Amino acid sequence: MATSVAEFLQGLSPRRRPELPETSAGTVRFDVRDEGHTEHWYLTLRDQRLDVTRSSADADLVIRGDREAFDRLANGRTHTFALLIRNDLTLRGDVRLLMTLRRVFPGPAEARHPREVARRGDGRR
Amino acid sequence: MRQERVHVFAGNAFAASNAQGDMEVDPRAPVGLWSFDTRFLSRWVLTVDGERLNVLSRDDISYFETRFFLVPGAASHYVDADVSVIRHRSLDDSFNERITILNHAAEPAEFVVRMDIDADFADTSEIRSPRPRRTTANASFADGALRLRYERERFSRETVICTTAPGHIDEGGITYRISIPPHGQWVTDLHVDMRIRGEGGADVRTSLKSHGQRVGHDMRQDLREWLDRAPRLVAERDTLADVYEDALTDLAALRYVPLSDVGRVPVGGLPWAMALYGRDAIVTCLQTLPFTPELAPATLRLLAIAQGGQLDDYHDEEPGKILGELRYGESAGFGEEPTALYYGAADTTPLFVVLLDEYERWSGDVALVRELRHPARMALDWIDEYGDLTGDGYLRYQRRNPRNGLVNQTWRNSPDAIVHRDGRMPGFPRSTCELQGYAYDAKVRGARLAREFWGDPEYADRLEREAAALKERFNRDFWLPQRGHYALALEPDGTPVETLTSGIGHLLWSGIVPEERSAQVAAHLLSPELFTGWGVRTLAEGQLPYNPVGAHVGAVWPSDNSLIAAGLRRYDHDDEAARIAAGVFEVAEMLTGSVPEVIAGYPRGVTSYPVQLPMAGRPQSWAAGALLMLLGTVLGLRPCGDNLLVSPAVPEGFGRLELLDIPGRWGHTDANGRDHSARSRERHSRER
Repeated sequence: MATSVAEFLQGLSPRRRPELPETSAGTVRFDVRDEGHTEHWYLTLRDQRLDVTRSSADADLVIRGDREAFDRLANGRTHTFALLIRNDLTLRGDVRLLMTLRRVFPGPAEARHPREVARRGDGRR
Repeated sequence: MRQERVHVFAGNAFAASNAQGDMEVDPRAPVGLWSFDTRFLSRWVLTVDGERLNVLSRDDISYFETRFFLVPGAASHYVDADVSVIRHRSLDDSFNERITILNHAAEPAEFVVRMDIDADFADTSEIRSPRPRRTTANASFADGALRLRYERERFSRETVICTTAPGHIDEGGITYRISIPPHGQWVTDLHVDMRIRGEGGADVRTSLKSHGQRVGHDMRQDLREWLDRAPRLVAERDTLADVYEDALTDLAALRYVPLSDVGRVPVGGLPWAMALYGRDAIVTCLQTLPFTPELAPATLRLLAIAQGGQLDDYHDEEPGKILGELRYGESAGFGEEPTALYYGAADTTPLFVVLLDEYERWSGDVALVRELRHPARMALDWIDEYGDLTGDGYLRYQRRNPRNGLVNQTWRNSPDAIVHRDGRMPGFPRSTCELQGYAYDAKVRGARLAREFWGDPEYADRLEREAAALKERFNRDFWLPQRGHYALALEPDGTPVETLTSGIGHLLWSGIVPEERSAQVAAHLLSPELFTGWGVRTLAEGQLPYNPVGAHVGAVWPSDNSLIAAGLRRYDHDDEAARIAAGVFEVAEMLTGSVPEVIAGYPRGVTSYPVQLPMAGRPQSWAAGALLMLLGTVLGLRPCGDNLLVSPAVPEGFGRLELLDIPGRWGHTDANGRDHSARSRERHSRER
């Protein structure tokens, strides 16, 4: 699993992602603050594909935050929505794109399939 | 004695005070000014010359506006009071209160008027014991404002109170030393801004594309237009029109603008559920399609945006699952509660598909069905991939968050709700009966959508095969031949939980019951064990867990009853449906105003008045929606192709009913019906 947002975004393949709705399209810019400078990542969502480049061009959604917050997003340690409520990430623009993008990020590492929990026969929870 | 609470509310914001208009923390109820799941005022107490005020009367102008008429001092010297006070408050995006002090004397008078102000920034999840927070208060003379702020890391909430009349602002409130001429008055406007600070200190809501449209928009006008868009009810029994308008007004009040740009969607209701609940929102939309269809596309779009996309144990999330609850408070943000997108609900996902199909049948909005193909397909896939937990083909639930996830993930969500007749608790994962009905209905409806709009006949065939197999399996495994009804649930090993509950009515609504069994089910629903006279109990009397004041083990829910009545009519049990509709409407008529979400399950013959439960929410979206659905049910409204079918079965005592301008794919059309007496009256007058 990626440990940083940069590593995660660089590792994203341009393949088709069936989990993304075919009707979702738009651009998202990550403004990642890191010790006084800001890195820009530019994501284009179209036809169930996600294309990643480096650009500071205008986007439909701009997400800003410290590198640490983006890293938490990229490795599933903190819930996307929690990062927003906590104001660790701030948004400008179309919030719907973040909800779609969220499907590309990994969830918590220890998460289980519900069947696995049921199979364990832990029936008194 | 329970103290009276006065609410003004709008969307997910509300202010709850006592009868005098004062707000003070009460561990039993969410008192104060709330917005986005945070308390922005925990103390708001008005005194004149150090004395609390007493209420003479109150004018609840609308759900967002109230006026209190008050006098200082104790009740004994009301009579010749020479000063009176009017507090006029309203809530839109901010809270506003105009205070007017009237001097009735022939002499000038001097007063010390004081508003005590504090904000504890408590989260909705901690009403019973708000944690102590380190807050800062900043009294600023320069701009006439008191600023109260709470910060935790980057999380920040701020209340800014401004006054138009000059006053002395300190950290605990504002003091005015005033002099009023004979028969004169003094006025100040207090404006309370609730700030959720985001990027660069700007309010989060203004940096999002979708927000800010509401600012400055006229709420009275909005309410008028909402009522005008809904069909008009003309009823011989005039209380029915009042109940109808109250229900529509509740629905108007309980809409909020989510952060994504989809339109307004229903929150659960006051005071505990002023947030988006997937189930409540979907059921409300289903109930109100003939009346206020605009709620459905907004709700469907929002739930699609928030559809589960990951495996996450703490939030009970799986890909394709439809949201249970959405909160914006501190405890959600810091993971103390799983409510930043909580998915602990097993019924919302199939019901999402049911709503999409039903909405198209009414509206003809094919574009939305195409737009939402992907989320609907993910929802249908979820049923089998993540909902069938033991591989036996039944939709089940078992929480993966044992800390604070919900034990029961259906509408019967209290911990004791799913129980054997003898009080034993079944094991997990639990498969309740109504979940199977919803799953069946979702597959049948999904097949129609796939065939007619998604151009996928093979998938439609597959869904139909699966639905037929589920219906057959269900009728084998859940049916209790000796008892003549369906089991409440199955244990993980398939052993039935034989308890008789109102859940069997939902099965009629979903259509999973074969014709030949429906009469037995209907007879149980209207038996004295289940039917109180006001409505169908959640759990039948005569079983050990029965408790008439237990939310899901004996009490009566209008929302539950609205689905049951619709189910009874689906199987042509028209008289039974009419009896339920009559009972619930009489609850609304007797209690007046908003119908509560639940009442006690005592037999009507014993109490002769509907007994309210202290914890019951009021108003609630799906309780208000229930009255509309029951009205649609007694009129027998059903879309058929491009026409609206009307097949009335009106309860005795309702007289003539006309519902005018029902919106839908037909444009607007009217429906009318008469009860038996009105029919024979008209027959007689024709014969003469």
